[in-house]
Amino acid sequence: MMNIAEFAGKDSLSRRYFMEKTARMTLGVSLSVPFLPRNFQAQEGSKGKNLIYIYLKGGMSHLDTFDAKRDGSDVMGDTKTINTKVDDLKFGEHLPKLASMADKLAVIRGMNSTNGAHEEGEYIMRRGYNKRATIVHPTMGPFAEKLLGKRNEILPDSVIIGESTSNAGWLEPALSPLPIADPAGGVPNSSITTDQERFDRRMKMAQKLGQNFIGKYKYTGPESYVEYYEQATKLLKSEELKAFDISSENSTAYGSEKLGQGCLLARKLVENGVRVVEVVSGGWDMHIGLKESLANRVPVVDQAVSALLKDLEERGLLDSTIVAIGTEFGRTPDFNINSGRDHFPAAYSCVIAGGGVKGGTAYSETDGNGKKVKGPQVRPEDFLATIGHGLGIDTEEVVYSATQRPFTFGGKGKPIKELFA
Amino acid sequence: MKKQLFYIITTLCFCYSATIPLQARTWTSTDGKQMQAIFLGIEGENFKFRMRDGQEIVVPSSRFKKADREAAERLERIGDDSFTLASAKKIDNLLATTLVKNGYKSFNKPLPDDLFVRRVYLDIIGRIPTREEFMEFALNPRQDKRQALIDDLLLHPGYASHLFNYFADMYRLHDDTYDRGIRMEPYTQWWREQLQANTPYHKMVSDMLLANGNLGHNPASGFILRDTGMEFDAFANFGQVMLGMDVSCAQCHDHPFNDDLQQMDFYRMAAFFGNTQRTIAYSTKTDESMMLNYKGLPTQMPNAPPGWKNQFLTFAETQKNINLKDQRSNWFKYYLEALAWNVADNENMTTKLPADFLGKGGKPGEEVEPRTLIKPAAKMGGKTRREALRDWMIAPDNPRFALVIANRMWGRAFGKAMIEPVNDFSDDEIRNSAQPQTLAFITSEMRRVNYDLREFMRILYNTRAYQSMATEEEPSFTRKYYFPGPVLRRMRAEQAWDSLMLLSNGREIDTKEGRDGSFYKALLNVDFNTITNEELWQRYEIWNNYRGRRMAAAVAPEGDINSPDVRNESDLRASALAQPAEPASLLDTFGQSDRIITDQHNFDGSVPQVLALMNGSITNNMTGNYSKIVEDLKVLDGPDDKIRGTFFTILSRYPVDDEIAIGREMMNAYGEEEGISDLAWALMNSPEFLFIQ
Repeated sequence: MMNIAEFAGKDSLSRRYFMEKTARMTLGVSLSVPFLPRNFQAQEGSKGKNLIYIYLKGGMSHLDTFDAKRDGSDVMGDTKTINTKVDDLKFGEHLPKLASMADKLAVIRGMNSTNGAHEEGEYIMRRGYNKRATIVHPTMGPFAEKLLGKRNEILPDSVIIGESTSNAGWLEPALSPLPIADPAGGVPNSSITTDQERFDRRMKMAQKLGQNFIGKYKYTGPESYVEYYEQATKLLKSEELKAFDISSENSTAYGSEKLGQGCLLARKLVENGVRVVEVVSGGWDMHIGLKESLANRVPVVDQAVSALLKDLEERGLLDSTIVAIGTEFGRTPDFNINSGRDHFPAAYSCVIAGGGVKGGTAYSETDGNGKKVKGPQVRPEDFLATIGHGLGIDTEEVVYSATQRPFTFGGKGKPIKELFA
Repeated sequence: MKKQLFYIITTLCFCYSATIPLQARTWTSTDGKQMQAIFLGIEGENFKFRMRDGQEIVVPSSRFKKADREAAERLERIGDDSFTLASAKKIDNLLATTLVKNGYKSFNKPLPDDLFVRRVYLDIIGRIPTREEFMEFALNPRQDKRQALIDDLLLHPGYASHLFNYFADMYRLHDDTYDRGIRMEPYTQWWREQLQANTPYHKMVSDMLLANGNLGHNPASGFILRDTGMEFDAFANFGQVMLGMDVSCAQCHDHPFNDDLQQMDFYRMAAFFGNTQRTIAYSTKTDESMMLNYKGLPTQMPNAPPGWKNQFLTFAETQKNINLKDQRSNWFKYYLEALAWNVADNENMTTKLPADFLGKGGKPGEEVEPRTLIKPAAKMGGKTRREALRDWMIAPDNPRFALVIANRMWGRAFGKAMIEPVNDFSDDEIRNSAQPQTLAFITSEMRRVNYDLREFMRILYNTRAYQSMATEEEPSFTRKYYFPGPVLRRMRAEQAWDSLMLLSNGREIDTKEGRDGSFYKALLNVDFNTITNEELWQRYEIWNNYRGRRMAAAVAPEGDINSPDVRNESDLRASALAQPAEPASLLDTFGQSDRIITDQHNFDGSVPQVLALMNGSITNNMTGNYSKIVEDLKVLDGPDDKIRGTFFTILSRYPVDDEIAIGREMMNAYGEEEGISDLAWALMNSPEFLFIQ
């Protein structure tokens, strides 16, 4: 198989022109990243080709979910501990569906972060670097695209569901993920306001009227808009736009909540070639009334993620798609005065599955109270590097920002290679 | 971060009065007599002048021709323009000399009137002109109508609004930087007001650097508070914004390629803020989980008696059932935190080298004394550290401060600065810039006008260089750009937004006010020496009633905290909205900075932008059923006038014959109304709309 370097380096001029032209694609475009048709994705030694990263904002309690302790012990409060399909692996009571498919999950119980505030904690869990006021680091989608090459013609390579804005950090803005605030809403402004005939007529007139201006100036800016108009027109008529429409899908299994709908959209996008989808969901900052808050949020994750894993498997996509669950920190083993748990970065849990991950395992562990990591400590950077490794990324490959600062995928994290089969 | 040697600039500096003979404006009397004089102002029925020999005279206004009487009224509002025009001419001469040396004949062709109107409206007040404004200029027969329009626009509220958008990006203005109800609107509003008042730039910088107190006492404290918890990053930002130097790499290590910038230098320079305390925490022993607490240091608060906070806290705990461990008391804590979030000099604080210090000249944990990175060195003598830094920055011999802001303002006018990137350049780059004499001259002009940015921009807009056609070929990175004219640029997100708002809402957007932080500011503006615990508690209760979004939009212009107005924030221009605009708004889509790091506005196109222009609500308002433009143009008769009117409204230019023919064809086939709305749609969706020629 042709490798990436060969492919990108040996373009003939006309081929390169063609590539760049095609690379000026619709929803997120990069002229600086070689365009790679999907068949040329050379990622030796890794099964993972796609990533769905479910990010739970606010700090998911590890004890009540993936790092449950002895049933009835003090630290568990009102949460019961349940058995899973895997001996020795216990979950909190609100995760029965995932418990029944625990053989597919690798639970990382040795997570340890130094960031006890939400914003900073989330930043490093999604970007692999500490938050600074002098630079913004890219999330995993743009960084993967930078390192692995552009994959799609019409669709973006990365999408963020559940947020209405995105950026590519210090990478080219064109690598920014497409944000979809509401999974049911699809791409904003993607339905035309007149009948097709009138729309076409207007578009044609705009092109005619634009010719003088376009011809006069030799700048990339106006020309890029010509391309964007061309591609937007194509997109509006394209089959790919349907990848964002989940109204025709059977969503019962995923549940009606936004997180479930987001997971369904993520599946559909990955199926259509999107490489990285982040699904962001809030409501995990459970300082007050933990019991009710857990009952409110955890079953939603249980349903959405179990449905996603099952769906991916049935479509033959689970082997090539990493599904990860991340959060900024765990929650205190001791309860506070409001029957809630506070921020706890010293020990928490994240999950990774699919994409060649060995399921049915727990990596590292915490002590009997979930207060300290007993086994190897896994920093946020290590977690991201592990995901990167699973996607076939060389996590030591240095990319320089425009200001010549060196960066790697997942910060300076060390991938946990033994998690992969 | 690059080497700092600045002698070249001082040697290149031109002494203004020695090189420019005073060419005062010529005034003509009704009987044709002429005199040259500086206009000093209107006194009753008379105009006051200074003659070339220095003598001041008073002449009845009725003695002058109508055009001069009108000019006098304009100059009365903005100041005489003799120096302005002489300075513009000097810039043109300097530029032209270098242009010719480099094989250019002269500047690009002069800008025709229609392109001029659109450009100055967008550049000065940040939006396209209305059809009426366009026509007014077109029909104005006066010779000095360009100078007059420039002055009118510089006095228009849109001037400060548009300049605000630039500084909001540069200074990273962000209304809700922190969670927990802490807001920044008073600081944001301080910027709006300073720019409206045309406060000299060095005065603003001085106010920001020296500010003490909380946001209620002194909103300028927001500059330092902005980066609470990231003090060294804040310093790195300061270097980029005020000195044009990115020193951030030296925060972690000696510069790999530059022996002159050592890690030690970074900390010595940062030490000017070394005893600047930003308090974010309620700083009580009852809550030790706060990460940003300055452990072991008492919270300093200018003009507050020591221990006021603990005393108030005790009051709240004993008499008002506040329990700090209870999350339900959070909003009380947040109020206390907002009150106490302040800047103060704390002599117990020092700058210490970090534990992972690797550089030469110091050891981890060692204390560092302040020292400026570049010469001449700051003089400490009896001043506070921040005062010493301020004095050093704005001193006439500081080689960077005036140059940085002059270069930035040049970039605003010409679409390209003399040195780029504007926030990080070396002395070599100053020396090797394309027009070093002009750069030195505008730097000295920045000082001469005493950092009056409006007067400085007035000079630039009056140059022949500025009033030239945009250069038709994009300047390349590898060749110098000699400024035969401005470059073609895409509108900033805020220009696109304000222009679209104008199309759909008309000129009312120019003066429509949004949030101003006045309610929040009043809640925090407390005299701790006189206020009683009960009064302070009442303020907390008001705070608690208005928390969240209502707090942000609440205004109390007279400082009356009991009955604030909560403003409706729809249909506002970009500068009046929350800063930055909400994610996924059109502003965000068109590249408005998220204000995390400096100068992040993005000018790239994207498909979501194009989709918004094709199918978005403003376009639909303009061109859908009940099309606004069809309504507006009902005052015009005949298809050709309506076609012209559509061009004036959207592109502010005359259509060529072919374009009229295209419009005609459409109207013939689909009727006048449908034809016009189709034409309007097409013009909004031709790339020309988003660009400034």
